[in-house]
Amino acid sequence: MAQSFPYTYYACDCFDSNTTTSTKRASQVVAAAAATEDEEQTFDPQNPRSNYALYPLEHLLYCEDCQQIRCPRCVLEETLNWYCPSCLFEVPSSVVKSDGNRCTRNCFNCPICISPLVVNLLENADADQGTPDRHILICPYCHWSTLETGVEFEKHTGVYAQLARIANGGKHIPTSKERDKERERRKELEARQRDSKNPLSPSSETAAVETEAREPPSRDDLFSNLAAFYKSQLEAQTPANPFSPGEMNFSSPSAYSRIMNLYSTNTAKKQKRVKPTPMREAASELEGLVIYDPASDSAAIERIKRDGWNSTLSPTQKLAQTNPHLQFADELRPIPTLLCTKRSKRCRSCRHILSKPESKITSTRYKIKLLALNHIPRLSIRALPPTNPPIPSIPGGSTASQPQPFNYNTLRSGIPTHFLLHLSNPLFDPIRVTLATSSTTPGKVQSRVTILCPQFDVGANTDVWDDALSSSPAPMARRSTINAETGQIEAGKIWDKGRNWTSVAIEVVPGFLADLKNVSGEEDGLDEDDDLLEIPIFVRLEFEADVHAEERGLSDSRGSKAERESREQAFWTVVGAGRIAGR
Amino acid sequence: MSTRPNPPQKRTSLLPKPKLLTLDPTVLIAQHAHLSGNNPITIGARTVLHPHCRILSGNAAVVVGAGCVIFERARVGMGVGGMGDKQGTDTVLGKNVVVETNGVVEGGEVGDGTVVGVGGVVGRGCVVGRYCTIAASEILPPYTRIPDFTVVYGGGQQRVDRTLEMRPELVESKMGLHEKQLDMFQRLVPNQVAKWM
Repeated sequence: MAQSFPYTYYACDCFDSNTTTSTKRASQVVAAAAATEDEEQTFDPQNPRSNYALYPLEHLLYCEDCQQIRCPRCVLEETLNWYCPSCLFEVPSSVVKSDGNRCTRNCFNCPICISPLVVNLLENADADQGTPDRHILICPYCHWSTLETGVEFEKHTGVYAQLARIANGGKHIPTSKERDKERERRKELEARQRDSKNPLSPSSETAAVETEAREPPSRDDLFSNLAAFYKSQLEAQTPANPFSPGEMNFSSPSAYSRIMNLYSTNTAKKQKRVKPTPMREAASELEGLVIYDPASDSAAIERIKRDGWNSTLSPTQKLAQTNPHLQFADELRPIPTLLCTKRSKRCRSCRHILSKPESKITSTRYKIKLLALNHIPRLSIRALPPTNPPIPSIPGGSTASQPQPFNYNTLRSGIPTHFLLHLSNPLFDPIRVTLATSSTTPGKVQSRVTILCPQFDVGANTDVWDDALSSSPAPMARRSTINAETGQIEAGKIWDKGRNWTSVAIEVVPGFLADLKNVSGEEDGLDEDDDLLEIPIFVRLEFEADVHAEERGLSDSRGSKAERESREQAFWTVVGAGRIAGR
Repeated sequence: MSTRPNPPQKRTSLLPKPKLLTLDPTVLIAQHAHLSGNNPITIGARTVLHPHCRILSGNAAVVVGAGCVIFERARVGMGVGGMGDKQGTDTVLGKNVVVETNGVVEGGEVGDGTVVGVGGVVGRGCVVGRYCTIAASEILPPYTRIPDFTVVYGGGQQRVDRTLEMRPELVESKMGLHEKQLDMFQRLVPNQVAKWM
């Protein structure tokens, strides 16, 4: 585990509880758990499935209606809005649908090193002679610039639109309309040549010369040719749709759904059986057919021979490009910045919103944010230093200020080690806590675990001043749990207590790594992380809460004491106490 | 030590001997700039040494060319402590070299117009070409050779800055900007060069 010791993970049982009824209460879960207690396994942190159920408390949300923890697996995410992380402009979702998820303003990333590009003004030596200013995009980090691919801009704004018209080397990229016209023109030319081919043989030679002179079609050309070909094929096959208003895009989702609606009636079954006549494949370059040309490969090899590896691209650089089939550095295009989303999160079972950020892009605040942090007690573990001789107690974190820090990475096998379980309560009602764990930890290395005081109360999260102003501070004699004669920690008593927290001692006898090797008889009996001392602890809370406390907001729930109901919460946690030292 | 033709004498004072230090009259040395060592230090015209930068010639001579800018806490050359008893290599900065804050150039040659970014390190005996850029926090291991117009970035990757290579007028405009920056420093930074004359 990446986190340093000691840590606590909370298990979300969203996979195991297959029922998704929103009315399910924690008590029912507990009742069900009690009923099937014999079969019920202790939560096993070593189980591969546990990797997907354990989260730190900070990552979890809490559904107030289901009264359950919600992990990233059991929330639904909804996109609120799209925005560019570079210029922080919101992009309407309709534009995202039509133009794609890239910023269409001035934001670009460097194709070499992905840092944001900046627009620079080229020095204009003869500005007084009316030469317009030229601008380039340049990377402030790796110094790549669009000059390397021969692209300059006339204006410093609207770079995306300008770039869409300029190919590398400064050539003009035809628009789709121009492409269509050109295609029509060439088709006619071809048809005329075919007609005149039969009587006159030399015309084929001129056609061959013409194709030789032309450059191979670009990827965009091929795409538009192929799209036009398929469109014409579809139109030729299906009779004109009476509902279609003129030009209908065959690939649009609305057209698709309309077609699905038409065919979903009973009569559709008959129609479905009629096999569509197979479409013709694209047969020429004008129809989008591209024929593999081995000469291009040998040309590329020659180029690598000449320019070296530095002129080629790395896989990451290729994949970041819109056209991932580029090979050389001079074909690179600036990468328009990917848009980001703001998302709200809903409970999967009751569809209530658990988290909703403010829709304003520049704001990082939340309208709704139901964190588990505010509803679930925080369980933490830390080592209890050797208790004799008893050290003078310091209020607050008494054990934290030890001269030599406890080394959680070298727990010694077979030696009883004491830890403190610290439970702090974020709720405004006092809670009664029951902790349960199996006597030995699951897994290959079995450590014995004893919670010395499994049942205790934790005070309410009242105002900080309530405690200070109350007349009876109720001084809790610290370390009263240590038996004066034997120096042992007495079972059944809490270790320490404060306004909204309680800590209890837990005794752990780490298991033996070496024994296991002998028993199994093989050297590799232990897997990675088998020497982790992770203790699964089942936590059950009982408390009296106001009915509908959530509707009035938690802050003023202390106001009326009229309607109270008793509630229960139960969940598994896993505390990582350390790593058992090998011999 | 035996290979060195003229082993330097141990001196108690950190201040260099006056004759070891050759300063152009137009040099700008800010207060708290630190020049020390018992090998010659030469600093060219219009060079700017910012406060708390260090020019160390404990092991070998240091030559800083004209129009260089050494920013705060940057270190050029090798002191006595860093190298032990090994023989140092002379440090030569070309014209208009910029060593940014916390940058280190220990030994070797750095060509004209090169920029060593914030926290960048040019190791002992490196030879860096003209108009190179060592990006922030990049470390050149000792005895590396870097050709002209190279950018070292992203954890040791190198590429040729073809924009500058292809367009000499861009190099000119870049150097023009550098000159303007030097002028600005001359006006803004109080000169304490009298202390070292």
